[in-house]
Amino acid sequence: MINSLILSYITFVYFGSFMLYLFMMVNGRDIFGRLATIVTAVGFAVQTIAIVLRWLESYSLGIGHAPFSNLYESLIFFAWTVILLYLIMEWRTKSRTFGAFVTPLAFLALAYASFSPNVRSHIQPLIPALKSNWLISHVITCFFGYAAFGLSFGISIMYLLKRLDNDDRKNLFLKLIPGKGVLDELNYQMVVIGFLMLTLGIITGSVWAHSAWGTYWSWDPKETWSLITWLIYASVLHSRTVRGWKGKKIAILCFIGFSCVLFTYFGVNYLAGLHSYAKS
Amino acid sequence: MTSSKTDKKSNALWRFFSSVKLTIVLLIILAIASIIGTLIPQQGQGAVQFAKSLSPRWFSFLSNLNLFDMYHSLWFRLLLGGLGLNLIICSVDRFSGAWKRFSTIPRPDRTKPFEHLQPEQTFFVQTKINDPVLSIGRFLQKRYKRTQNKETGHDRFFYGEKGGYSHFGVYLIHLSVLIILIGGLVGSFFGFEAYVNILEGGKIDTVTLRKGMSPLKLGFEVSCDKFTVDFYKNGAPKEYRSDLTFFINGKEVEKRSALVNHPIQFKGVTFYQASYGKLPGKKVRLKIAKHANKDDITTLVIEPGHPVQLPEKEGQLIVVDVKGDLMGLGAAVQVLIQPSQGEEVDFWVFQNPQIVRKRLPAPMARSPKFNASEFKPYTFFLDHLESAYYTGLQVNKDPGVNIVWIGCFMMVAGFFVTFFTSHRKIWVRLSEEESGTKISVAGTASKNPVGFQRELENLTNDLKDTFSEKG
Repeated sequence: MINSLILSYITFVYFGSFMLYLFMMVNGRDIFGRLATIVTAVGFAVQTIAIVLRWLESYSLGIGHAPFSNLYESLIFFAWTVILLYLIMEWRTKSRTFGAFVTPLAFLALAYASFSPNVRSHIQPLIPALKSNWLISHVITCFFGYAAFGLSFGISIMYLLKRLDNDDRKNLFLKLIPGKGVLDELNYQMVVIGFLMLTLGIITGSVWAHSAWGTYWSWDPKETWSLITWLIYASVLHSRTVRGWKGKKIAILCFIGFSCVLFTYFGVNYLAGLHSYAKS
Repeated sequence: MTSSKTDKKSNALWRFFSSVKLTIVLLIILAIASIIGTLIPQQGQGAVQFAKSLSPRWFSFLSNLNLFDMYHSLWFRLLLGGLGLNLIICSVDRFSGAWKRFSTIPRPDRTKPFEHLQPEQTFFVQTKINDPVLSIGRFLQKRYKRTQNKETGHDRFFYGEKGGYSHFGVYLIHLSVLIILIGGLVGSFFGFEAYVNILEGGKIDTVTLRKGMSPLKLGFEVSCDKFTVDFYKNGAPKEYRSDLTFFINGKEVEKRSALVNHPIQFKGVTFYQASYGKLPGKKVRLKIAKHANKDDITTLVIEPGHPVQLPEKEGQLIVVDVKGDLMGLGAAVQVLIQPSQGEEVDFWVFQNPQIVRKRLPAPMARSPKFNASEFKPYTFFLDHLESAYYTGLQVNKDPGVNIVWIGCFMMVAGFFVTFFTSHRKIWVRLSEEESGTKISVAGTASKNPVGFQRELENLTNDLKDTFSEKG
């Protein structure tokens, strides 16, 4: 299947752009940064084509469905949303320094999808429970949420690193990271986007569960963990807007929040539950 | 008014519940409790197995804390209730502030906003503006609300604002959380969750509640006329479908089909296609051979429980039990023969007698209970077991669900108001100078300063255009 072959190559493309962003940070030459943007954008375009190909291919197999139906396809889509949000952020902020912290997420997701023996890459027909119009809206909202939280995680790491920087220190890498105020503001914006998307994801999921399983909320581990994630980010927003927390505390909370996202995504597969089709 | 306020402020309980610290602590406790709930299997099969693996002391400790059905326990509900109360009191406590920010109109002739103006926010018109109230006032009225103007000496000020409702977005979100919680409560008080298995061709009027496994009369009857499973080429299931008929007082009322993801509703009760299975024993095909003569074979198709005559009227035969798989030896039926003379005999007839001989120890295999030739001179063969499908339906009633959807909708609307709108106030100042009029545009926004700066610049440009059009 050509699409999964292309997608496995994209893994290396994103690894390449990660290295280029890193070179830019280490030796400060802008050419690496510009190259990194081009490589990332080309990788993104090709990945988009591969996803569309996969979609078309499922139709030619007679089991047509959007490519959001199992772990492999979700990882591919996660990488895609991370890169999309990243490219938008790079364009809006005119700063390439985030690249070195964000592209690894996409690269790792693709590597896991393409090279782990536990992840099956072939197109499977949809089981009855997944045959619903809610599949697309549920997956898209959830994964944009995850991606925004992923970016917030990258920004939080940058923030914590930037704290090590001071005038005496002549570390180019740290100097290139944008100022703490900018990072804090961007982090907040990412959390807002992620929180909105996660909320929409949980709501679309409930509407779907209501028609598929009979209840809009059944305390299935994945549901519960998404709620836990939601509660953590709700605390982030409250502590920031009402109690005025900023900087380090928020960065650490976002760190915890993203660990919950990862557990919601991967960890719950080790717990019994209704979302079993997302395991392989 | 002021005295009641100080009363509130001094009330320790009020202070406790109006603190955001409490909110954050509650959110974190709820998160931790939920984590525990996902680690300990809740209800059902998994919980039973897990409970068996525990020492009695641990078991009683965990079950005293209701940790096997945590999400329905009193303490978890108290936590949710605490969060609800906290939400209400926080919101009430802060509402007057938000109302003030919404309703207070600042003086139009404030000069503070005009400090530190970007050059893009001022321009110069070479003539004296004759009727500024008409031109600029109208212009602002089209775009902004609650416009005001005032003249002071050489200057004329205009004020307008937009998006004041943005202060209430947070309250919309908080209200939506309460509505969702209320919807959940309504569902748990006035609804039920149950299940039922209906054999194809069968009819039921009672379902089993998940809570306590007690029966519940529906008040109408449901029959499953047909159950179908479709498979993909690779063997994975494609679709489950139950064709159901509903009866009231024995009279057929409605025919509908339930599919996965497409439940059906009847009299406020929703039926979901949840599972299915096969039950052996709709009909049994037995072959009977006379001992000596292998060619003399009679085939009987028998419904379990219904007596049939033996071929030569030596008595009657009843299939008393049907097993899809008896002791791991495959399908078998228990046959009871009541001869016209002599004693009753009963024995099991296996579909595959070789396996019985191979697997069971010889004395057992030779037991009369397993001997299909026990009723002489006949030997019985189990030729075919027709199995019947049953459909597993989830049967729910939840009058709270629409309340929950309303809450969800409000929550999303609230997010948009809170995060993507802001209270924008703008001032325009006209200062008459020797050679004409200087017009400056200034403003403040409750959120998104970058976007607001763009808005101010656009506004300035549009204002400039109105004057240049007039020439």
